[in-house]
Amino acid sequence: MKILVVDDDLHIQRLYKEELTEEGYEIVVAANGAEAMEMFEKENPDLVTLDIRLPDVDGIHLLRQMKEKKPKLPIIMSTAYDYRDDFSVWASEAYIVKSSDLAELKSMIKKLLS
Amino acid sequence: MVDNRQAPEVKENLEGIIENFPDAIVTFDLDGIVTSWNKGAEKMYGFTKEEAVGRFLPFVPGFLVVAEKEKIDRIKDGDILKDYETVRQKKDGTILDASLTLSPIKDAEGKTVGAICISRDISEKKRIEKELVKRNQELSRLFFISSAMRGTIELDRLLRMILTAVTMSDGLGFNRAILFLVDDDKGCLKGALGVGPASSEEAFQIWSRLSLEKKTLSDIIRDIETGPLRKESFLDKLSLSIEIPLSEETILAKTVKEKRPFNVQNVNGEPLSDVILSQQVGTQAYAVAPLVSRDKVIGVIWVDNQFNKRPILEEDMRFLSAFSNQVASVVESARLFEQIALAEQELENIFESISDKVFFTTKDYVIRKINKAVSERLGKAPEEIIGKKCYEVFHNRKEPRRRCPHHKTIAAKKPFAGELEEPYLGGTFLTSSSPIFDSTGEFIGTVNVMRDITDIKTLQQQLVMKQRMAALGEVAARVAHDIRNPLVSIGGFARRLEKSLEGDLKDYAAIISGEVAGLEKILGEILAYVRGVSLEKHMVNIDSLIDEVTDVMKSELDEKRIVLLKDLHASSEVHVDPGNIREALLNILSNAIHAIGNDGTIVVKTYLKKGYTVVEIKDTGCGISDEVLPFIFDPFFTTKGSGNTGLGLTITHKIIEKHDGRIEVESKPHVGSTFKVFLPFKSEK
Repeated sequence: MKILVVDDDLHIQRLYKEELTEEGYEIVVAANGAEAMEMFEKENPDLVTLDIRLPDVDGIHLLRQMKEKKPKLPIIMSTAYDYRDDFSVWASEAYIVKSSDLAELKSMIKKLLS
Repeated sequence: MVDNRQAPEVKENLEGIIENFPDAIVTFDLDGIVTSWNKGAEKMYGFTKEEAVGRFLPFVPGFLVVAEKEKIDRIKDGDILKDYETVRQKKDGTILDASLTLSPIKDAEGKTVGAICISRDISEKKRIEKELVKRNQELSRLFFISSAMRGTIELDRLLRMILTAVTMSDGLGFNRAILFLVDDDKGCLKGALGVGPASSEEAFQIWSRLSLEKKTLSDIIRDIETGPLRKESFLDKLSLSIEIPLSEETILAKTVKEKRPFNVQNVNGEPLSDVILSQQVGTQAYAVAPLVSRDKVIGVIWVDNQFNKRPILEEDMRFLSAFSNQVASVVESARLFEQIALAEQELENIFESISDKVFFTTKDYVIRKINKAVSERLGKAPEEIIGKKCYEVFHNRKEPRRRCPHHKTIAAKKPFAGELEEPYLGGTFLTSSSPIFDSTGEFIGTVNVMRDITDIKTLQQQLVMKQRMAALGEVAARVAHDIRNPLVSIGGFARRLEKSLEGDLKDYAAIISGEVAGLEKILGEILAYVRGVSLEKHMVNIDSLIDEVTDVMKSELDEKRIVLLKDLHASSEVHVDPGNIREALLNILSNAIHAIGNDGTIVVKTYLKKGYTVVEIKDTGCGISDEVLPFIFDPFFTTKGSGNTGLGLTITHKIIEKHDGRIEVESKPHVGSTFKVFLPFKSEK
């Protein structure tokens, strides 16, 4: 299973990559909107974790672009700030506040990919 | 005859004295035949000595002869009559009051042979006495009338009493009376009312009836005091139509200007007599007296004796003037009272129509007076509010609220104003409270004005919140990004270290990851607090919320010729985030408009059903096919083509779910769709 991790924080990118690789997933990463769409097209991931605050575009914008292309693709909004009451994130399958403990993220991915 | 044998010189002297004495001294025998008649008697009675001597006492009027003979009999028995008052008749027939002293004349043997009568004219004294009695009666009548009037504050009633007193026979006894009041604005005298018969026939009827009924002035005054007031007599109507300009030279105008009474004996002989007035009332002679109160003429009493033609005498005028002086101040008071009553009524109207809640209390918090706004806001009748303690009524408490401005005013006897949120009334009130002191400076209570600022407050709060949110949101997002991201890295890699290290080093890594987890928790709490203010549920009336939403859509509806019918019957308060629900309903309505295109109808209904407030939105649009219906709430699902996010109904669905509600949809292609939004009306969260 291939997961696209979109995050501009390279440490977090690496943390996600290492931790999720250990879980048996193939990880591709992107640090901004342009890269994200490129990887999205090229790698055809089975799941995307999407940061909302990105240097070039809004994560919500990416969410819509990806959903328009692949409505059934599970997307987890993974952000530093809690946007869960914002209507716009509701289009995603799941929503998570980033944490140093990745247990919740892992179980969420597992559930969405099963 | 006096025996004069012993002292002829004494006799002569005595005769001389008697002859020239100013009092009338007359002697007569026991048959009453005059034997001597002095100069005083000549002067007093008009009879000369020659005319009187030898005749029966000429000054005794015919009707007193018998009585006089009885008196002579008493003299015969030796009595002396001293200073008795009777009447005597002069030669010209006029009667005069006299005081007499009768003593017997005795001969040498001591036998009574005649009498000596000394008489003194007391007409003047009598006249003064009578005058005094009359004055006394007049004064007591005046006193009675004015005391009755002082008890009457109703102007019309009072004026009628006055005129009745003027026309009653045991009052001033005039036939007719009209009262004019000065109208300063118009510069004229205006007839106020009239009392008296319309014609001689009526006069006769009234007078005979009154004499039969034997009603006294006090009876009639009492009748006026309590009975119904009518202004329908001939003279009333006539008087009301009379207006006399003060600028013209007439008797009535002069009465006002010169502040003195006039007695017009003959209207034809008086050039200043108001011809029109005289013709209107049909009088030959009349009198007028001003009503002067505090040196200002406030009116004029007009009187005449048209029916019995009795001339108006000086004493009538005197009485009329005295009466006018008495009543003027009373009329003035009644007029002022009437003005005060009018002003009071005006104030009362203003008080009632103030939209702020106004109430008065005693210093013991007891509500004395409230305006309509108070009883409307509380939904209680004034009787249920007045007399209660204000803190019971407004706060539903057993004691005053410490923060209440009114409470502070009572404690400090100074004005206070402030905002007070009152959960019992479900609102915020700007209350200003001021102490009331009586004329001696004693603190007696408070006057309070409460303005409902709940709406303003809510708007203010929303505005403040939005500003705060904007600022806080910015800060929070930065904090989140700049602190949470490094924390995630620190903690995340510490966990990784922890997994691959052993011994002390593993423990160190565990300490780092544990501390980071703690920091993340604190950060989460802080951010949650910042977020917390953004979502707030209020009690909202669902019907008014719908009105707000449909108002927003009005121009679009008009443009597309879509008729919107509202049938709102829930009027239920729902506990929701109004912004969220507004968004949800707006989405459904936009879809309905989109489904219709142009020309159609949307019906919005609200009602209550099994613990839910239901909002039903029915359109006559294109409808939704059975194949599409299961997907309408899916994100980015849209049939509307580009330019649509496909998130509208998704968001609506999530919003309603968040409020513990649900959405039901029924639809038929080419007929229309019905969306039913169910919101629990007892939801607390």
